[in-house]
Amino acid sequence: MHSRGRLDGTKILIYASYIVVVLVFWGPVTWMISLSLKTIPDILAYPPKLFPSRLAIENYGTIFEQSTIPRNMLNSAKITIITVLGTLLVTVPAAYAFSRFRFKGRTQILMAILLFQMISTLIIILPLYRYFIRLNLLDTHHGLILIYITVQIPFTVWLLKGFFDSIPKSLDEAARIDGASRLQSVIRVIVPVAMPGIAAAVLFNTINAWSQFLIPFILIGKGRLQPISVGVAKYAETVGEAIVTTHLLAAASLMAMLPAIAIFIVLQRFIVRILISGAVKG
Amino acid sequence: MTRIGAAKEFGSRLAWLAPAIAFLALFMVLPLFDVVRLSFTTASIIEPEYSYTLSSYAKVFGDKDFLWSLSITFIFVAANCALQIPLGLLIALAVHAGRDRNVYGSILARTAILTAWIIPGVLVGILWKTLLSSASSGIINHFIQSLGMERIPFLLDPLYAVISIIGANVWGGAAFCMILQYAGLQRIPAELYEVSRVDGARAWQQFLHITLPQLKPILFINLVLITISSFNTFDMIATLTSGGPAGTTEVLTLAAYIQVFTYWNMGRGSAIAVLLLTITVVMTVVYYKLFQLDEDIAE
Repeated sequence: MHSRGRLDGTKILIYASYIVVVLVFWGPVTWMISLSLKTIPDILAYPPKLFPSRLAIENYGTIFEQSTIPRNMLNSAKITIITVLGTLLVTVPAAYAFSRFRFKGRTQILMAILLFQMISTLIIILPLYRYFIRLNLLDTHHGLILIYITVQIPFTVWLLKGFFDSIPKSLDEAARIDGASRLQSVIRVIVPVAMPGIAAAVLFNTINAWSQFLIPFILIGKGRLQPISVGVAKYAETVGEAIVTTHLLAAASLMAMLPAIAIFIVLQRFIVRILISGAVKG
Repeated sequence: MTRIGAAKEFGSRLAWLAPAIAFLALFMVLPLFDVVRLSFTTASIIEPEYSYTLSSYAKVFGDKDFLWSLSITFIFVAANCALQIPLGLLIALAVHAGRDRNVYGSILARTAILTAWIIPGVLVGILWKTLLSSASSGIINHFIQSLGMERIPFLLDPLYAVISIIGANVWGGAAFCMILQYAGLQRIPAELYEVSRVDGARAWQQFLHITLPQLKPILFINLVLITISSFNTFDMIATLTSGGPAGTTEVLTLAAYIQVFTYWNMGRGSAIAVLLLTITVVMTVVYYKLFQLDEDIAE
């Protein structure tokens, strides 16, 4: 009915809206890429040009050699990996319990967890900062990771519970009749079947952990221990408004956003499917 | 089941939940109660001694700067709701209509908007700071000039700074609304449209009488979620304006941070945090009611 192949008014409108969307949402990133590859004369050139006269890839080399950004990225990688593994270890059993057990207070706890997901980290970080001073956990990665895991638990439990709910109970019951313990049935039956859900949890937790800013901004003062989000913000602060460092700041920012964007572009179909099913389910 | 059996069963069930509950109890519930307690104290970051008082709240509400923070936060939240939801819906409609009609580029448009969403808030701030700069790298001012208008000192002028934080947040957040609405659109039964087409309804009539009413629940949920996330915005504003110029864009989260880490007033900062917490709790209850989770969970 719809696709007659000819270009009607509606189709033109749709194409026009796509062009606007792509320009508005990719334009700024494209401009940053262009800036990051410019030499200083190119940056000062007026009118500004999109294509640098020479691709100044050495800007990235400068960031690698003369800033803490590579160190910060390594910190983020380490913190993210441990956070993601730790979160799974804690949330898989919890999500299984919420999916399979009926106990008093279950609804209330799930509701509380939903509330925790909505709460700004700013609210909890104020008292946590005080505890961390006394426990000597400021400026440590393990202290940071404990908080990261905590803030990932609510979302991950809800996500995994949704996936576990969709697995027929008969499946794990069959395994248990065959003599498997509950733990064995989870490891051998539930986890393999729920792999797409676990993959989604890993994905979203990776992106979230990589993006965390406020928590490390407050808890980690030492530059060489900071994750990339704080590292690049501090770098932006030190270079400030100086025009002659715009290209370097652009390069540093792109390096910082690259992992999240790369993961997204490669897995976008999967991500969109999870987002949509999550949105429908709530 | 025997009593011992029941206790054993209870114990083994508790073990599944224990790690998650322990994390949440220690690093979420405890600080939540503590922030409320601290808001009634004279605590500072450095001095270990403090006493209990109501003065934090009195000082907070007697402070003109705080009242400004409160106002600007509400403006920021209202503007984000008013802009993100229609924009998200518009793009969702375009992507949905495009897929229906096999138009090329619907995936591309969806990917473009979601890319902005995946960029961490800190970097959204740095990105827009660069784009809005008055220097030659500030491409937006170049466009404005080429239209024959004067350069705009976006981040130095109070009004434009407010517009800038709203614009950058809409840019980063619209994708979430788009995805939510897009999911909602896919759930509307196609028969509804077919029947109305037979009745001779025009596209805008279909939108008013079918699409909008069918989307209503999702739109409400979207409103609640955008409200909460806008109230909680910190990262993007911290790098875009740092609350400036002269505190104009100092939303509640920034105000709390500054009270605690610049003025070392743990009590006053906590009082602001408690206010944020109250708003979050109210909005979450609304969200919960909208979903009627009790039915969903009890199944």
